[in-house]
Amino acid sequence: MSYEGDYSPMLMPAFTRATGLRVEVQSLPWTAAHEKLLTAQAGDSLPDVLMLPDGWVGEFAMIGALAPVTDATLLGGLFPGVAAVVGADGQPYAVPWSVAPQVQYYRRDLLDRAGYAAPPEDWDSWRRMGQRLKGRAPDNFAFLMLLNWWDTLFTFAGQTGAGPLRERDTRGNFRDPRFREALAFYVSLFREGLAPPALSTEVQDPVAAFAQGYFAVYPYGPTLTLDLHRRAAEIPPALWSTARMPGPHGPGRVSGIAASLCVSARSRRPAAAWALVRHLTSSASELTYQRLIGTLPANAAAWETPQLRQPALRAFAEQMRDPTREPMIVEWERIRIEVQLIAERVVRGQLGIDAALVAMDDRVDRLLAKRRALVETARLA
Amino acid sequence: MTRQERTAWGFVLPVLAIILFVFALPTVLALALSVTDYSIYALADWGALRFVGLGNFTDLLTTPLFWRALGNTALFALLGVPMAVGTSLAAALLLHDASVRWKPLWRVLLFAPYVTSVVATAVVWRFLLNTRFGLLNHALGWVGVPPVDWLGDPHASIPAILLFVTWKIFGYNMIVFTAALSAVPHDLMEAARLDGASRWTRFRHVTLPAIGPTLLLAAVMSVAGFLQIFAEPYVMTLGGPAQSTTTVLYFMFDEGFKWWNLGQASAVAFILFLMILALTLVQARIGRRYEWL
Amino acid sequence: MTRRRWRAIATNAAVAAATLLTAAPLLWMVLVSFMPRGESSRFPPRLWPSRWSWENYHELLARRLIDGAWFDYRIVPALWNSLAVAGLSTLLGLLLTVPAGYAFAKLRFRGRERLLQLLVGALVVPGQVAMLPLFLIFKELGLVNSYAGVILPSLAGIFAILFVRQAALSIPDEMLDAARLDGASERRIFAQIVLPLLAPITVTLALFMFLGSWNDFLWPLIVLADQHLYTLPVAVAAISREHAADGELMMAAAVVTTLPVLILFVPLQRYYISGLLGGSVKG
Repeated sequence: MSYEGDYSPMLMPAFTRATGLRVEVQSLPWTAAHEKLLTAQAGDSLPDVLMLPDGWVGEFAMIGALAPVTDATLLGGLFPGVAAVVGADGQPYAVPWSVAPQVQYYRRDLLDRAGYAAPPEDWDSWRRMGQRLKGRAPDNFAFLMLLNWWDTLFTFAGQTGAGPLRERDTRGNFRDPRFREALAFYVSLFREGLAPPALSTEVQDPVAAFAQGYFAVYPYGPTLTLDLHRRAAEIPPALWSTARMPGPHGPGRVSGIAASLCVSARSRRPAAAWALVRHLTSSASELTYQRLIGTLPANAAAWETPQLRQPALRAFAEQMRDPTREPMIVEWERIRIEVQLIAERVVRGQLGIDAALVAMDDRVDRLLAKRRALVETARLA
Repeated sequence: MTRQERTAWGFVLPVLAIILFVFALPTVLALALSVTDYSIYALADWGALRFVGLGNFTDLLTTPLFWRALGNTALFALLGVPMAVGTSLAAALLLHDASVRWKPLWRVLLFAPYVTSVVATAVVWRFLLNTRFGLLNHALGWVGVPPVDWLGDPHASIPAILLFVTWKIFGYNMIVFTAALSAVPHDLMEAARLDGASRWTRFRHVTLPAIGPTLLLAAVMSVAGFLQIFAEPYVMTLGGPAQSTTTVLYFMFDEGFKWWNLGQASAVAFILFLMILALTLVQARIGRRYEWL
Repeated sequence: MTRRRWRAIATNAAVAAATLLTAAPLLWMVLVSFMPRGESSRFPPRLWPSRWSWENYHELLARRLIDGAWFDYRIVPALWNSLAVAGLSTLLGLLLTVPAGYAFAKLRFRGRERLLQLLVGALVVPGQVAMLPLFLIFKELGLVNSYAGVILPSLAGIFAILFVRQAALSIPDEMLDAARLDGASERRIFAQIVLPLLAPITVTLALFMFLGSWNDFLWPLIVLADQHLYTLPVAVAAISREHAADGELMMAAAVVTTLPVLILFVPLQRYYISGLLGGSVKG
């Protein structure tokens, strides 16, 4: 998927040299990957090895798409805070590969001019910084948070310690005051004009916009470093840096989109598939990958190397030690998307915050109706 | 069985078998699916499948997004039909004028967008409609209109997509209307002219009554077309912003093939079917009234 | 007299302007596809490439070796896939529907009228209703993610049958009966007398089928999982989601997708348009 998919062919020649096996790579766009993979499973055409974001592993394990990880050595030596995703039956189904916690990319020059050496780490000061940035350049924005992506809202929510679901993950817990606080903060950034209410389909080239100063702070994962380095002609490395996301009273837990590698349950070459997983999750491959696209290794040994001691990566390393745990249920992906859709309506002024929280719980309870029925009749743990 | 009859069955059976298999059978099955809670759990284990009667339908009626999708689709039809049919008629009238030269050339060029791929041209239009770099806003700027956030503002997104759709499909009805226009009785037109009727009066009292049924039929058929809008929002807006371009078919695709709630999605498909059926009845009525079909 | 001439000039100018406006998006697509990278997202927008460049086409179409690994957008394979899928479904579609349409028009068999009514009635059911269960059926039969899975549904050409029937009705019965008296078999009559008469309508139908299959999006999107099998619209939709920033690249992809259709359409447009009228006027 995305850069991971576009660039993984480059990890394959070493594998082919070592084993004589040729590997064919297919890449899917993020916004269509979920349905494509489900279709592939339904059509019995999943690839032998597939990359899944952690949030999807439980779902694909449940529908019997994945083979459990039986070789414990694959799961040894992980970076602290990184863990294999365990299915409903208690077995691990995925080998952690790369981690992508959200941090903030910021324009050093723009912050500097507003009187900041680095972004503040608590919400109130962060918003004040936004107001100052906006005050200096009213046509531009302080933050870019794309309205059809849930990651920033869930980052804020995770930092308040709000658990999104309750009663063994069978009901929504969005009326929790902590989630309310996160949503109110998120919405206020748009209401005050600090962030544009834009979708990913509109901001066609965020890197160019970042370089032009259209916004000064961009919460994003590590792959953006690759884009920024590649386009150093537009935005020299001295002009930007990274920092941990602000929390209500200082940085806290953040959900990263961690990617894991899984093997299809119906793979006709399980031995070769696991060998490929071992190759891809080795320190060497993960380091190559880090160099190519900026994703961060899940492997502790990789972090010992000089390559990962660059200052721009420090924020990521710190953030990685402090991850939130997400519900490992089939409906989770959809819940995040639908909660974000409701949040988008609040941002656009179509819904009040409290009405939105009720709507979120209502919607999520409905999405979980089937799961609730199965849990109540003890057909599901 | 006669020789002729044997041959006839040989000719029609293969295609009838395929229609039965890929069309009739699945349509019946869709009805069956729509009364079950087929979901991703059933994909894993058939044991999780339950009969829910009309549960999916009542569920849909209390789902705000479904109503929003219905509303959006209605809005597409309500705004889109006058826009598309009006453009077609204007182009046809222009092209029909006796003084116009090189008619075949214009006709082909005006019709060309109709045969292009929706996906490819939607990609092009997404760029044309870009708020900051798009040509459309630039052109509007020349006449002093401030930039419109076409695909980002929930109030502008449907008109934006309709601009694209109109551009793409108006050629079809334009052709139909030119044919209808050339069937307008000549002597009647000539008589009106000799009577000194103005251009507008001639249009209003001679042309319009003559092409009226065609116009009406085209409008009804366009409604059916607009009810089935999917690829445009899929490529241009992903159903956004704020779900303002999520149509019934988009909703069905998401529910069915993205989240695998085939039970619920089949119910949506049936509601769509009922709407189109209702339209067809209207169409048949119009047809009978003008003794056409 | 002069007033009339002015009017003629004004009307012609209006037609030309409308045509230009209609063609503008397509022209712009071609122009941008030749611009160097990044030129389309500048302000103010440019209308003409500062330098004509093939780099977008090269990046889009060529398989390149980078760091020992092959890299490409799979547009060329998708082009062949689209040609194969559209070609096959047209060919099979004609083979199935032309004889059937003729049979419904001119051959007498029991149940003909009832079947015909059923077919006309079936036109009301939108194809999307059948899609969901069809996917499950194909899944059981192993047809998901195969060309057969894409092509089969397009062969259920109810409209095509009625279209051919309509044309075949105008063939005089005396001609067929004369051949029958001469002892010609029914199949021979179809091949030697009917087919030549139906040739123009067949060209029209083939064009409809080919374009329909080429531009079809929803079903291939659902049924194809493997990128090797993607048709052009599906492939273009996939890269447009990921490479939305690369305007020039996307325009090149749009050109590759629309050009074959226009090349086919322009010389054959007469057939297309006459078919369109035949279809719509007779319902």
